[in-house]
Amino acid sequence: MAKKGGSSARIWFLVHSWLALPIWAFVFFVCLTGTIATVSQEIVWLANPAVRANPPSADATPLGYDAALAAVERQRPGAIPLQIVRSVKSQYALQIDVAQPDGATATLFVNPFTGEIQGQQGAFDFQQFTRALHGWLLTPFTSGFAIGWYVVSAMSIPLLGSLITGVVVYKKFWRAYLNPRLRISKGSRIFWGDLHRLVGIWSIPFIAIISVTAGWFLIQAILFDNAISISTVGAPPIVAREHAPTLKAGETPPKPSVDRAVAAAKERFPDLEPGLIELPQNAFNHVMIWGRGGYPLIFEQAAVNPYTYDVEWTRRVSDRSALELVTESMRPLHVGDFVGLSLKLVYFLFGAMLTAMSLSGMMVWTRRTAQATVAVARGRPVPAPFPEPAE
Amino acid sequence: MSAATLDRSAASRFWRRWRFHLSALVVLVPIALTPLYFRQLALENGTAGLGAREIGERKVGPWSVRLAEFDLLPPQVQGPAGPVKQFTLALAGAGVTEVRAAYLKIGKPRSLRAAGSIFFGSPYRQTAGLPIPERTSPDAEVWLTLEGWDGSMQTQALPLAEASPVAADWLRSRNGGKP
Repeated sequence: MAKKGGSSARIWFLVHSWLALPIWAFVFFVCLTGTIATVSQEIVWLANPAVRANPPSADATPLGYDAALAAVERQRPGAIPLQIVRSVKSQYALQIDVAQPDGATATLFVNPFTGEIQGQQGAFDFQQFTRALHGWLLTPFTSGFAIGWYVVSAMSIPLLGSLITGVVVYKKFWRAYLNPRLRISKGSRIFWGDLHRLVGIWSIPFIAIISVTAGWFLIQAILFDNAISISTVGAPPIVAREHAPTLKAGETPPKPSVDRAVAAAKERFPDLEPGLIELPQNAFNHVMIWGRGGYPLIFEQAAVNPYTYDVEWTRRVSDRSALELVTESMRPLHVGDFVGLSLKLVYFLFGAMLTAMSLSGMMVWTRRTAQATVAVARGRPVPAPFPEPAE
Repeated sequence: MSAATLDRSAASRFWRRWRFHLSALVVLVPIALTPLYFRQLALENGTAGLGAREIGERKVGPWSVRLAEFDLLPPQVQGPAGPVKQFTLALAGAGVTEVRAAYLKIGKPRSLRAAGSIFFGSPYRQTAGLPIPERTSPDAEVWLTLEGWDGSMQTQALPLAEASPVAADWLRSRNGGKP
């Protein structure tokens, strides 16, 4: 530790300690649930065979959307499809939401090769529950954003503050990339301190991504709840009244062909990979196709007329303002769901490390910071907070 | 040493030992809210019925529908539309295949093009957000319009106080009962 500016380093160190200490257990909870949330889809895959896409044979080819919907209709007479979700990961079954004659909506797991309904989402959706627990502590969204959303996203401030002050107080931290040190046999304070620093320097980019994106979630809620919009989307498209056919008594209403709609959208955007297809929600509603194009973080959209199959409205990456490109990239960056399993595992690993940071930080504190604070308050000299390995 | 000092020192010891771990108590929030979370989910996916409060069955021309208030909240401000109240509707019998759209509006619609907020969803359960401006009279009528695939139009009115007592009360408290 440099002698010059030692007192300001001491203050920085105390700020670093006090930023998270009083709330460390809550931060630990948020990091832990967030870490589980990154791989919640994979956990469901392991736990529930119904969500897997097992081909019946090695040379099986996936069904078209219309064939899959027809298979669902055969197995669930009267069910009306609402949307189709196709994961970026080919190991997952199609998820088809249907409205049932009793009024309830069911999420069906449909084998993409055979159209067999392999199972149905029960009342407990692990993935959704983990997200809600992590993101807003299950608090309700009755008017505007949930209070829990504010509380959790406000953690971005101490998190970013801890990162900045941590980098400031850890002098010449880059040396530790080449000389990592984790002393296990020198007592628990040394161990937790070494772990905190070692994990910390390797997590700098990840903590920056998580805290900045979480900060956006806070800003997003504040903007929404104050009716401030930065969106350039405009009014949603409506199918022209004259396109909806007039039927005679006994004629059945037309069912849109999802294959034709997807083909029309692909003709316009050849690189579009449909991830979510929303079927028309009334007679004047489009088939809305959401998919990733060249820029994987943002979903592009194409609204296809269900009667004429014209692409009548699109929203591409290039339609977005620079501000929207940044803000709409925030959520995928926070959750890491835009590549596949490999990135999820990277996020899981760094999430686990961040969770360990809040725990090890508390451990270091209980073994040192209390004395340091008392010493500063009484004007006594304090041992340098980060004596190793900077000097 | 008196019992009171003993108590105080025990409490202060407890405080000194645990004060920085008390944020762990935040986990009590999701634990307490878990039943509400699942009730809300059941309402959203329709397993808890059409809505929080069923208004009842209505005949609209040849068709029969069930109408409900989605939640029991007063109208909520949602962007530029101002205060909005959510209603859910279910078509029954022949209406499932014969009705191509349903609309909701405060006051009598002049034509299909001005029939109000269109319902989104499936024939079995669809939702519309009805804008209720603050100057609306609490005695106003809500008009439900059904449009058939054959091009026909059917309407049915019901008092706002019957469609949503909470919205009517909210209007009364807003404009002091004055229309």
